[in-house]
Amino acid sequence: MKKAILYVNQFFGQIGGEDKAGIEPEIHEGQIGPAIQFAKELKDTEVTHTIICGDNYMGSNTEEATAAILDMLEGKDIDIFLAGPAFQAGRYTVACGTICKAVKERFGVPVVTSMNEETPGVDMFKKDMYILKGGNIASKMRKDVKAMANVANKILAGEPVGSADEDGYFARGIRHQAWRKDGKPASERMMEMLVAKLNGRPFTTELPIPKIDRVEIAAPIADLKEARIALLTTGGIVPVDNPDRIQSASATRWGRYDISGDKRLLGGEYKTIHAGFDPAAADADPNVVTPVDALKELLKEGVYKSLHPYFYSTVGTGTTESEAARMAREIVPLLQEDHVDGCILVST
Amino acid sequence: MRLEIGNFYVKDIVFGEKLSFDGGVLTINKDEALAFIREDDRITEAELYIAKPGDKIRMCPVKEAVEPRIRLDGRGLFPGYTSELAPAGDGALHALKNCSVLVVGRHWGGFQDGIIDMSGEGQKLTYFGQLNNIVLVADTNEEFEKHEQQKKNDALRRAGHKLAEFIGACVKELTPEDKDIYETAPMIKRGAEVEKLPSVVYVMQPQSQMEAMGYNDLVYGWDTNHMLPTVMSPTEILDGAIVSGSFMPVSSKWSTYDMQNTPNLRALMDAHGKTVNFLGVIMSNLNVALEQKERAALYVAQIARSLGAEGAVVAEEGYGNPDADFVGCLVALEDAGVKTVGVTNESTGRDGHGQPLVTLDEKCDAIVSCGNVGELIELPPMETVLGELEALRRDGNSGGWDYDEILGPSVREDGSIILENNGIFCGDQVCGWSPKQMMEF
Repeated sequence: MKKAILYVNQFFGQIGGEDKAGIEPEIHEGQIGPAIQFAKELKDTEVTHTIICGDNYMGSNTEEATAAILDMLEGKDIDIFLAGPAFQAGRYTVACGTICKAVKERFGVPVVTSMNEETPGVDMFKKDMYILKGGNIASKMRKDVKAMANVANKILAGEPVGSADEDGYFARGIRHQAWRKDGKPASERMMEMLVAKLNGRPFTTELPIPKIDRVEIAAPIADLKEARIALLTTGGIVPVDNPDRIQSASATRWGRYDISGDKRLLGGEYKTIHAGFDPAAADADPNVVTPVDALKELLKEGVYKSLHPYFYSTVGTGTTESEAARMAREIVPLLQEDHVDGCILVST
Repeated sequence: MRLEIGNFYVKDIVFGEKLSFDGGVLTINKDEALAFIREDDRITEAELYIAKPGDKIRMCPVKEAVEPRIRLDGRGLFPGYTSELAPAGDGALHALKNCSVLVVGRHWGGFQDGIIDMSGEGQKLTYFGQLNNIVLVADTNEEFEKHEQQKKNDALRRAGHKLAEFIGACVKELTPEDKDIYETAPMIKRGAEVEKLPSVVYVMQPQSQMEAMGYNDLVYGWDTNHMLPTVMSPTEILDGAIVSGSFMPVSSKWSTYDMQNTPNLRALMDAHGKTVNFLGVIMSNLNVALEQKERAALYVAQIARSLGAEGAVVAEEGYGNPDADFVGCLVALEDAGVKTVGVTNESTGRDGHGQPLVTLDEKCDAIVSCGNVGELIELPPMETVLGELEALRRDGNSGGWDYDEILGPSVREDGSIILENNGIFCGDQVCGWSPKQMMEF
C-alpha cells in the first residue's frame, strides 16, 4: 500500500471560513474533506494524513508555515504529496504551489495540485509541478479530484504521465515526442493546417514559439590594455586523446586545457572532435579555431594585459540550448574566480 | 507532366531460383544478386538478408533505403546518378510496394548512419520497421574513410540504388495490381475551377551542408550545395530526380525511399483541385554560410511571388544549423505575403527543456513538429543483429556514445542499447510519414 498526504486550507479542512483563515498549520491522521474522495480514487494508496492551514496564515507567514509543515512531515512515509484542489481561490492556489514546491525539494517526492487558470498560482508554479487545470468553483470538486488522482495514479504506478493536453495539466515548459492516439501522419496534419491558414480558419501549431531568452550585449571593456582575457570555443578543439570524452555532437561535456606560459596548440597534439564541419584545417592547425597563437602575439604587443591560463572547449553541433546554458553556468565561476574581464568565444 | 506508378504489393520475400514476383511473393536469387553487387570492385564483402515486420532483427549501421522500381521505357531509375542524365517525372514505372532495399555496413558506421529494429518497442521508431526489407550487408575498400566519422558511403549507397533497380526489373513485364497517376498541368493553364482555389508551393530543403562533394543530396546527380532554389515538378521528385546523401544525424534525414514516396508531396497532389491549386515544388537547400542561407530564402520568396503562390509549405531535412534556413525561409515567405506552414523536428534535449529550434520567429505560427532528436531511447537486446552493433558507440554515430559516467556506453554487453533518437534511421519522418508529434508535458 502506497502512502499519500493531502494539504488543504481551513475551509476544505472543515475548520471554518474567512474568520478561520488565520489558523496555523495542523496535521491530522486520516482523511478530512477532499481526502475522503482521494482515498477512493487513488489506487492501492492510503491517504495517511491531512494537513490544514489557514490561507491568510500561509500568505503572511509563508516561511514559518512552510517550515512547520516540513517538520510535521519529517520521518513520515510519503509516496506522493497532494494539495487542493484550489479552484479559483487566489491565496489558496499560491499556498498549494508553495507547499508542494517545498515538499518536493525537501523530500524528493512527486507532488500534484490543481488550480483554475485565472489564478496567480499557475504562472508561479507550473514549471515546478503538475498543476491540473481546475474548475472555478468548488462544485467541480469531484471532477478536479478525479483529474488529480488520474495523474497521481500514473506516477504511483511508475507509468508515464500523458501530455499536458491529454491529462489536463498546465504545460511545464517540457517538450517531448509522443505518438498521437489517432496515428495521423505529419502529411495530413500539414494539409489540414495549410487549408485552415489559407482560409482564415483557426488552427493549432504544434510548435508554439516560446519567448526568446535574449542576453543583453555586455558593455565594452573600458581599457583593453588592462584587461584579462579568456578563450572559449564550441569548435571541439581538444588534446588528441580527448581526455574529457566530449561528444562529437549533442555535447553535454566540456573541458579546459592549459595554455599558460609558452604552451602552443600544435596539430598532432590537438585536434577537433566536432562532427559538424570538415576537420582537415582545424586538425592541421588548431589555432584556426582556437587562436592561441594570435592571442600570445597580441599579449606580447601589449594589446591586452593577461591571458587566462586555460582555454575551454565543447562541441556546438546539435547541442541543446539548455545543455549549453548549464555548461556556461559551470564555466563562468572559474572565469570570475580568476578575474577575467573579457571572453572570446569562437564558434564554427 | 504525367507519372504513372504501377504498384506491386509485396507480402513476402524469399530467396530462390529465379528473381521473380508472383502472388505477392518476391523471390530473389541471392547468388545472382550478390554477383551483380560485386561488379563494383570496391565491394569487398557482401551478403543479403530478409527482414520483415515482427522479425527479431536489429540493423546497424543502416546507410540508405531505396524502393525497388523499374522504368518501363529503359531509362534508368536515378538519372544523372546511377544512369545517364534524362528527364524524370514523365512516363511509367513499376514499383514494389511495402518493400525497400536497405544498405547496412558490415563493420563501419559513422555520424550519419542509423538503427532499425523490426520488432519490439523500437519497431515503431522508424517507417522501415513496418516494411518488408531486402537487406544488403556489405563492406568496401574505401580505406580513406574507414575511420572517419563523416563517411560518403559512396560504394554502399550506390550498391543499394543499383540493387533496387536490379530487383525492380522482375515486375517490368507484369501487370500491376493498381496504379497511382500523378499529373500536373502547366501552372498558368489549369482552368477557372482550379485557379479559384488558393495556390500553394512546396518548398523542399534537402540536405546540402557539406562543402566537400560526395556527401550531400543530389538532384539529377548535381550536388545540392551548388544550386540555387529552382522550380521542379512534384513528379520529378517522385521519379528519382533526387537521391539522399550521407550527412546529418540520421533521424533528421530523408532516405531515397522517402524522396521517392514523399508523403507531403502526395498529400498536396491529392488535395490539388479540391482544396488547393498545387503549383509545384521550389527546390531549395541548406547550405551553411549565412549569406547562402539568406540568398536561398530570397530566391524562394521571389519564386513564390512570381508564381503567384498564396500559400507554401516548407520542410527541412535537418536540424541545428539548418533551422536558420528553415526559419529564414518561413519568415521571407510570410514577409512576401505567402501564408506558410513549416514541417520540422526539434532539439529539446533529453530533459525536454531545450529551445526547440536554433532560431525562432513569431511569424512561424503554423508548424507541424515531428520529433525530438535528443529523446533518450533504451531498447532491449535483439536476437539477430545485421551489421555490427558496436558501430553505434565506436564510430561517432550522432545518437550514440562510447562513454557516459551515468548511462554507460550506448552498446551494452548483453546487446541492449541506449541512444538518442538522433541515431534512429530516418526516424523523424519530416517528409510526411511521422505519426509522432512534439507535445508539451
